[in-house]
Order: sequence, then structure tokens, then C-alpha cells
Amino acid sequence: MEWANDKSKGGVLAHLERLETQMSRSCKNLEDPPRETAESDLGTKIHKLRCLRDKLRAEVKQRQARIKASTASAEPDQTLEISEQEAVGGKEENMKAILQAYRFTGLSGKRTSRGVCVCISTAFEGNLLDSYFVDLVIQKPLRIHHHSVPVFIPLEEISAKYLQTNIQHFLFCLCEYLNAYAGRKYQADQLQRDFAAFLAGPLQRNSLCNLLSFTYKVEPQGRSFPFCARLLYKDLTTTLPTDVTITYQGTDASSTSWEEQRASHENLFFTKPLHQVFTSFARNGERLDMSLVS
Amino acid sequence: MDETVAEFIKRTILKIPMTEMMTILKAWDFLPENQLQTVNFRQRKESLVQDLVLLCESKRASLRDAALLDIIYTQFHRHQKVWDVFQMSKEPGEDVDLFDMERFKSSFEKILRRALKNVTVSFRDAEENAVWIRIAWGTQYRKPNQYKPVYVVYYSQTPYAFTSFCHLKSNAPLLSQALTVASNHHKIVKMDLRSRYLDSLKAIVFKQYNQKFETHNSTMPLQETLELDMHMDSRIIHENRIEKERVQRVTQETFGDYPQPRLEFAQYKLETKFKSDFHGGILAERKEPLRCLIKFSSPHLLEALKSLAPAGIADAPLSPLLTCIPNKGMNYFKIRDK
Repeated sequence: MEWANDKSKGGVLAHLERLETQMSRSCKNLEDPPRETAESDLGTKIHKLRCLRDKLRAEVKQRQARIKASTASAEPDQTLEISEQEAVGGKEENMKAILQAYRFTGLSGKRTSRGVCVCISTAFEGNLLDSYFVDLVIQKPLRIHHHSVPVFIPLEEISAKYLQTNIQHFLFCLCEYLNAYAGRKYQADQLQRDFAAFLAGPLQRNSLCNLLSFTYKVEPQGRSFPFCARLLYKDLTTTLPTDVTITYQGTDASSTSWEEQRASHENLFFTKPLHQVFTSFARNGERLDMSLVS
Repeated sequence: MDETVAEFIKRTILKIPMTEMMTILKAWDFLPENQLQTVNFRQRKESLVQDLVLLCESKRASLRDAALLDIIYTQFHRHQKVWDVFQMSKEPGEDVDLFDMERFKSSFEKILRRALKNVTVSFRDAEENAVWIRIAWGTQYRKPNQYKPVYVVYYSQTPYAFTSFCHLKSNAPLLSQALTVASNHHKIVKMDLRSRYLDSLKAIVFKQYNQKFETHNSTMPLQETLELDMHMDSRIIHENRIEKERVQRVTQETFGDYPQPRLEFAQYKLETKFKSDFHGGILAERKEPLRCLIKFSSPHLLEALKSLAPAGIADAPLSPLLTCIPNKGMNYFKIRDK
């Protein structure tokens, strides 16, 4: 009579619990085989589904390969689409390049939210120089919002005369002034940079480059006395001087040869840009050297 | 070398900070390179200055050389002076201005000397065809005071001249006359524009402060959305985004994208009648205008004004009295009843 002994461990409730667990265990033993079969059924089902999935995957792959093969043969059509797109893109690039290249005409512009921004690109003897901008507001009256024109260019005068009445004339007039200024500045810069050896002293100039004063020699290492040149550009729309004064300060100033030279130099400065005058001096010097050698 | 000249040179060199000493002495070009190399630049400043003054004495530095050094020092420290702006004008229909720098200098000096025997005038050419003029004023009986000179900066063939603040107001008309005549102008007027920052004043009157232009070469950025969006969590919504964008747009239209020229203050002198909604108030009956002075100060006034509306401190658009400053070239205003 083990029960009686067991009963002593934990009392009646504990005993009842033990009985309960015993019973449920015995029930489980009865159920297990069906459980196992259910599990194995599920297992086989899973296995079947997996096989089906793999089969379908393989089929999809096959089909894709077939499509690719077929599209490869049908390529010409696709490339036609691509090239059309490229053509449109290329045209856009082309347009942009043309708009940018308009600068080379000297006068170009771009629409802005309030009007137009005009760009004046200056040039001299085929060299592209600085660009200047005038931002116009299209209102009544037409006005300049801001600009990059130097302060010594008479912009107020020109706009007072033409801006309201004839905008084309305003722009052409401004172009004239700016191109002439850029040309004069270019000549003065060239003289200072490339022909410094010919100058006996510093080049005296002003903001508009319309008064140039300098002393020069025909030969850089020559022992001859220098000439003094004073060039005035009274017309601000030209790049050649309106007044030229050459003086010779040598002791033999009265001699005819120097007078001839002086006169010919004056003529040169009147008719040729500065740097060309000095290039011809350099060339004459070379010719002299050559004659000495030969 | 004159004792006063030696003292003047000594005091000028003493002002130069050690970091700039070599640069300024080289720009002066009075003491040759090889002589400068014999000097010990690592010693205490007082001893260095003594050595340099001795060198100057040995080279017989004149007042002219000393004045040139003073000009160079001031060019490096232009912010130490307060600059006024004068505007000159010509008669309409005048001939083209054939400005000759040498003639300008001699004419300018001649006019001053004709009126005042005791005056020191010095010139130094600068970039962009400009000239810096230094004038030390004396009186009929006294030699020029070298320690309180006036500076004038003039860009050739422009109608503007910049002068440093002159203590002796009595010499101002003479200076104006010399400037006007020497530069081939007829009239001169002092502008209501003053600042320490000479380069900003130049940018304002030469209208060089806005140099952004739309071209086909540059791609204009699309309407910029508020920068807030970039860093904010997408779960945060700005309730007043529309208003913020409007303020941003208005500020950009008024002040532009460019760095503002630098001014330290704007002054408004009011002489207006008091306007009140309350009838019978103490000031309502007052017939005389109220006089008051309002001064805005800032290390960089225009940038500060630009940031007022975006910071929420003021409404946009700002009062045109504030925003017209660079456009009108004024930072002194007198406001009266119309």
C-alpha cells in the first residue's frame, strides 16, 4: 500500500495532482502515434511544397532566359529608342553651347525674372577681352538694376540719352565705348608687358587709358637718346590716338635724320596700334642686326 | 637729418606691428635689402626701432621719405581712419577728361601752397590708376603738424574722392577747392556717407557691390527650399513654412546674394511732428517738431539688417529707410515732415 506512504508526502492535494499527471501522461501515450503521424504528414507536405517551389523557380528562370534570347534578336528596336533619347539630349547640349557661344558675337543676353541681363563681351584684334554686364528691369520706365561697367565709363550719360527712347542705340553706344576702352587698355598692357625693354621710364596712364605718356628707344640696348611720346585719345570710341606728340631730347635734335625719324614715328603712332608700332621697331632692329652680320 | 624728422620716423616705425615690419619696410623701399639684413629683427622693438632710425639717419632720410612711410602705414591700417566721401561734378557738355596724373599732382600742390605756405603734400600712386595724397597742415606761423595729417584717395577720371576725417575744419574748403580744380571738375559736395571701411565706401559709390549676373554659362539654382528641411526629421512639420519662405524670398530680393559692403552705423535725424491716435494727449497738441537722433550700430550693419527678418526680429520687407543705404550711398539721414 504505497499510496498510504505517498499520501504522507504533501498531503491530499498533492496526491490528487500526482494522479492527474499520471492520467494525462497515459492519455498522451495514447495520442502520440496520431501526433507523430500528423507531424510526418506535415513534414511530407512541406517537402512537397518545397519541391514545387524549386520547380517553379526553375521554370521562371527558363522563361526569362527565353525572353532575353528573343529580345537579343529584337535589339534594333530598342537601340532606336535609345538613340532618339540621345538625340534630344544632344540637341539640348547643342542649344546650350550655342547660347553660351553667343558671347562671341559681342552682345548677348539672358532673360531674367525681372527683365534681361545683357552681356557685352569686348574684343580687340581677335583677342577676347573682359565682359561687362548690364541687368535691365523691364518696367516703365526702363531702368538698370545693377551693372559691372567701370565707373569712369559715362554710363549715366549714355543711358540718359538713349535708354528710354532707343534701347538698341543705347546698347550699341555702350558697346562702342567699352570695346574702345578695352582696346586701348589692351595696347597699354601689351606695351608694358612685352616691350618693357624699349621703355626708358614707367608708362604713365589713366583709368580710361586715353592719355599715355612714355619715353622710349628704338633699340632696347641702344645708346641713342630716347624719344618722348604723348598720345591723346580724345574720341572715347576709338582705339587709335587723336593727338600724337613726339619729342626728341638728344643734343643733335636739329639734325634731319632724327627729325625724319621723329616724323615717321608720329605717323606710325597715328595709324597703328601701340604694340604693332613697337613690334615694327623690334623687327627693324633685327633687320639692322642681320645687315651687320651679313 | 632733422631731429623732428628722426622723431617722426621713430614714432611711425613704433606704430608698425612686428608681424608687418618687414612687409612695410620693403614697400617703403628706402632702406635697401642688404642693409635690412644686417638688422636683428628678433630683438626688442625699442632697440629694433633705434637701429632702423640710425640706418635712416645714415641714409639722410628727408621729410618726404618719412611722409611716404606714413602713407604706407596708413594704407595697411586704413580702418584706423574714418573716411568721408565727396562727389564732384562737371558742367554738362564738357570735353573728354584727359587726366594727366603728373599735372593733377602739381596742380593740387600748387593750389594748396598758394593759400598756405606751411603745408606738406605727399603722393603715392596706387592700383587702378588711383593716388593717395597725404597733407600735413600748418598755419601762417607754425610748421605743419606731421602727427595729424589728412589723407585723400582719388581714382582718376571718377567723380568721387575719399578723405580721412579732418580735425581742422577750417582747411576743408581749401582741400575741396584743390581737389575740384586739379581733377577738372566744377563743383564738389560732401556725401552723407561715412565709414572706416574705405573699400566698402568705394564699392558703394562705384556700384561694385553686386557683381552677380545671370548668364547661360552658370546654372541658376532652382528655387531654394528652406535649409531647415535638409536636417530636420521628416516627422517635424513647420507650421509657418509659407511665411518663412516668403520672408526668405523678400530678403533675397532686397539684399541679393552677394556679400554686403561693410558699414558700422546708420544715423537718422528726425524732425517730425508727433503723430498720435489719442486726441488730447500731451504731445498731440505740440506744434513744434520733435527732434531726435536714432543711430543703428553694428560691426557689420548691412549684414545685421539682412538677418533681421529671417531671425524673426523684424517684419519683411524692412523699412526702405534701412534698405536704401547702399543704393542711395547714404548712411546719414535727415527726416522732416513733407
